[in-house]
Amino acid sequence: MSDTRSKNESIKEKSRLLRGSIAEGLAHVETGAIDEDDTQLLKFHGSYMQDDRDVRGERAKKKLEKAFSFMIRLRLAGGNLTPEQWLKLDDIAGTYANGTLRLTTRATFQYHGVIKSNLKRTMQAINAACIDTIAACGDVNRNVMSAAHPYLSKAHKSAEELAKKISDHLLPRTGAYHEIWLDGEQVVTSEGKSQPESEPIYGTHYLPRKFKTVVAVPPDNDVDIFAHCLGFIAIVSKGDVVGWNVTVGGGMGMTHGETDTFPRTADLMGFCTPEQAVDVAEKVVTVQRDWGNREVRKNARLKYTIETHGVDAFRAEVEKRLGYKLGAPRPFKFERTGDRIGWAQGHDKKWHLTLYVENGRVKDTSSRKLRTALREIAATGGVDFVVTSNQNLVIANVAAKQKAKIEAVLAGHGVEIATSSAMRRNAMACVALPTCGLALAESERYLPSLITKFEDILDAAGLRDDEIIVRMTGCPNGCARPYLAEIGFVGRAPGLYNLYLGAAFDGTRLNKLYAQDVDEARILKLLEPLLKRYAKERHDGERFGDFVIRAGVIKATTAGNTFHADLALAAE
Amino acid sequence: MANPTLPKNAPFGPEDIDFLNKLVGRSTPMQRSWLSGFLAGLDAAQGLGGVQAAAAPVAAAKPRVPMTILYGSESGNAEALAFKAKKVASKFSVDAKVVDMADADLAQIAKVKNLAVYISTWGEGDPPQRAVDFYKALMADDAPRFDGVRYAVLALGDTAYVNFCETGRRIDARLEALGGIRVVDRIELDLDYQKGAQAWTDGMLAKFQPADGGTATVVHVDFKASAAEGDDLEEPVYTSENPCEAEVSALVNLNGTGSTRETYHVEFAFDAPEFTYEPGAAIGVLPENDPALAADLAAAVGLGTDAGLVAKLARQFDITTLSRGTVDAFAKLTGRKDVAALLEGDALARFSADRQLVDLFETYRETLTAEQLLKLLRPLPGRLYSVASSLKAHPGEAHLLVGAVRWASHGRQRKGVASTFLGERRKSGDKVRIYVKPNRHFGLPANGDTPIIMIGAGTGVAPYRGFIEDRVETGAKGQSWLFFGERNFTNDFLYQLEWQDHLASGALTRIDVAFSRDQPEKIYVQHRLWERRDEIRGWIADGAHLYVCGDEKGMAKDVDGTLARILADGGDDAAGLAKLKDLTKSGRYQRDVY
Repeated sequence: MSDTRSKNESIKEKSRLLRGSIAEGLAHVETGAIDEDDTQLLKFHGSYMQDDRDVRGERAKKKLEKAFSFMIRLRLAGGNLTPEQWLKLDDIAGTYANGTLRLTTRATFQYHGVIKSNLKRTMQAINAACIDTIAACGDVNRNVMSAAHPYLSKAHKSAEELAKKISDHLLPRTGAYHEIWLDGEQVVTSEGKSQPESEPIYGTHYLPRKFKTVVAVPPDNDVDIFAHCLGFIAIVSKGDVVGWNVTVGGGMGMTHGETDTFPRTADLMGFCTPEQAVDVAEKVVTVQRDWGNREVRKNARLKYTIETHGVDAFRAEVEKRLGYKLGAPRPFKFERTGDRIGWAQGHDKKWHLTLYVENGRVKDTSSRKLRTALREIAATGGVDFVVTSNQNLVIANVAAKQKAKIEAVLAGHGVEIATSSAMRRNAMACVALPTCGLALAESERYLPSLITKFEDILDAAGLRDDEIIVRMTGCPNGCARPYLAEIGFVGRAPGLYNLYLGAAFDGTRLNKLYAQDVDEARILKLLEPLLKRYAKERHDGERFGDFVIRAGVIKATTAGNTFHADLALAAE
Repeated sequence: MANPTLPKNAPFGPEDIDFLNKLVGRSTPMQRSWLSGFLAGLDAAQGLGGVQAAAAPVAAAKPRVPMTILYGSESGNAEALAFKAKKVASKFSVDAKVVDMADADLAQIAKVKNLAVYISTWGEGDPPQRAVDFYKALMADDAPRFDGVRYAVLALGDTAYVNFCETGRRIDARLEALGGIRVVDRIELDLDYQKGAQAWTDGMLAKFQPADGGTATVVHVDFKASAAEGDDLEEPVYTSENPCEAEVSALVNLNGTGSTRETYHVEFAFDAPEFTYEPGAAIGVLPENDPALAADLAAAVGLGTDAGLVAKLARQFDITTLSRGTVDAFAKLTGRKDVAALLEGDALARFSADRQLVDLFETYRETLTAEQLLKLLRPLPGRLYSVASSLKAHPGEAHLLVGAVRWASHGRQRKGVASTFLGERRKSGDKVRIYVKPNRHFGLPANGDTPIIMIGAGTGVAPYRGFIEDRVETGAKGQSWLFFGERNFTNDFLYQLEWQDHLASGALTRIDVAFSRDQPEKIYVQHRLWERRDEIRGWIADGAHLYVCGDEKGMAKDVDGTLARILADGGDDAAGLAKLKDLTKSGRYQRDVY
């Protein structure tokens, strides 16, 4: 019988629990690459092999192989860091990576540009900061994010704790990570347990595809809960979390031109008590492990499993494995996605500064030395750092008397707290070129200049302070969650994007394709009249994503499986 | 003495008689002696024997003078001159034998009757590396006396360096101090040494030839000599005086965008079957100056509008080197006291640091004529690069690896003459004059089964590309191990894809790399050698030959020390050094450093 499983399944199967020949590959000093199969396994260890695509053209004639390097992503459940950790991570960026820290759309850090000969030392330096990278990527439960203002209420603290518990509970148990990177040394996990050499939850084939979990605290949907495989929504009574609504089956990625792939907003599956939450997470993962599609990798995520079996059947199987029923979802109300930029005071009177970080890139430029400023703030101590789900950073737990000093440090390095337009503060772009192997078009390096052009239009229309969510990705995989943006751009080819409109501001509704393969000139030509109309014709409090639907510009996408339906593309 | 004339009845035609009269008429006594011997022995050598009793006067041709020609050579110039001198010595009734200082025994040398020394100076006044031990012994307090040893010294150097011909000077003085008798005054020669060396050698040999060498004796001419002398150096067809015009067929900067390095792979193609070289040889390039610098130089002396002169300066003259001789000549020409003051004490050393000729002219403004300017300049010398290819793998081609030299000093961007001539001012299809400089002291072992360990940093990897290519072509089965060092892995891994191919095919057995700037601590090739010390000892035990190529100060010195430590194997450093010396003596440790 022929093996109809996807190639990754046999790679995992032969890998001896994620070892493969990674260690041997590191010893081959003549190449900056590792074996192709091992690149799939390396993801489970938190790293992607990449190459600098800007220079691909010149390398062969210079008798050089591709400019390989590695992206390393941290597992940072809850997104919290001490100032000591911040300083260590900053050191690593300067010593082994490209001098920048990249905050991600999944509330963690990644480093770019680490060459193979430094991979192991970088992993060890990260470990020395009491952080690891295992399961930051790969076909496992990845970094678990939670609402980013953990100090604003007790509920946020509960959310952060649940995120950490789920992350630790669903960690791969293989010893491969410690063996390869830490010379067998055990990393300090919050569970503090040694790792047995078997995978009781995942089995030898792990999950069919990546798996993403988040924890939200209404009314903020900063984690974009409907874009994720598994979500927990805090149900709060008198300040305490009394349980969690459980969502399943959200996801962003799709493939251009293949309508059996689509982004999908998650379904509400039920309600669980605080004590049940970790167990529920485990059972959802095991059902996906057993039911997920292992033949067609692009249909392997949980959202397609739910689409295939229906949420009722899925819930029934989860309940069977739990041995008890889930409760009916409790009422909740999200108001918004994105972050609230600026200062906010917590229940304990401490202050928290949510800092806008363009594209999540913590770096120094000649006029704006964000990296240096954050280093100084970390070195002063007395604060914590929280990475948000929107590539921004919270300087948390600031005493009232410290506020002025932090503002002075930031201002002294040219870092404004409330920068430019509300659109820019809500904009997200994925990394894309030159390091991401999937990118079809620019994203991080391009979106800021496009926003600048929008800002002229916004100023003319009087919309500078209106929050409109703009997101861009270099490929349809959806790292910056473009299908949940009121204005979404997805790269098709260099300089060309698909333009999507009509997502809900609170993250509950996907957008829809409005124009295909448009360049900048056409983007501006299409959006300028719409923004002007919005300024003039909107109802009180009406969001741009809702307006374009009411105005008949685009049809509402009511579910993932209608994402590709009811298209009415803009006239050429 | 009246002109001798051949009688009209001599057995030659009238034209030949006329010709012979001219030739014999201007010949020296020595030449006539030699000719007699030559003619007497000619038929015997050809086995004709038709002429009677020609051998008798040959036997009477003695006495002859024995001479030891001792050389110390870095790039091979002094060595080539020594062997050339040996060739012509017999014309002067001198029986010469050539000895390399690297192999010389000082006590033996002190006992010879006649000694000619051909010695070059390297870098900042140092002896050639392979001559260091001999030089030290000679300079030591316990050096043997040279009483009665008749000697002469030819010193090679480069006026670009302050201590021009320093080693030759010191050896000359030392031999005299030890009781030697200077027969001919020392000559000091710059990079354009060929003609001067030939004239000096002839004159020197004439002084050493027997007292009666001028009388009409017959010189013994050994017809088998040229074939029998195995250790003679064969002079290449293409030399700096007779270069080959080659075409640049490929030119690429091997360093990736963003590199701090600029290293060019240059391929030359030529239609010249006599242009041959072995891996390990050097290829000389006759460069041209940056025309912008030539224009600046001309302008500095008020000749900026003379386009013909600027072109000449660019093509033919050394316009960068600021030597004591030039400053001296400039001071005399202009009568300037401030320029003359530069020649006092260490004033010139201080002024010339990181300065070039153009700075002299721009600092001390004078208007010169073209003729005056050219008189101040020496010819533009060729530059040598280790060949990076095997002729067997690339017939009709020679490849070089050229590191671009650039720096800024005293408000001016400076450029290495030859490196930027190739990297910046040539393009594919251009013609360049090149020549061959064989290197007898750096090459593959004759036996293809012999393992080799190749150590090189930066452009020092060049000869190893030739080595491996050559071994592929000859089907050599010996194991090979490359240690390569540079700054950054991603952009500076010279010939990376080729090494990968050679590893895949087995032509290269192993590779270790050291990229100094990829991590906080500096890692150099010597660190990798030390990490692999056990295996290296194993390879050496299996007969491996070791090679080092690259920068002396930046690498080779440390590699030497590390290899000695590895060979010491826990014993003391002296034991390791002695073992390394043994390897050098037996030709198993070869260095091409600069």
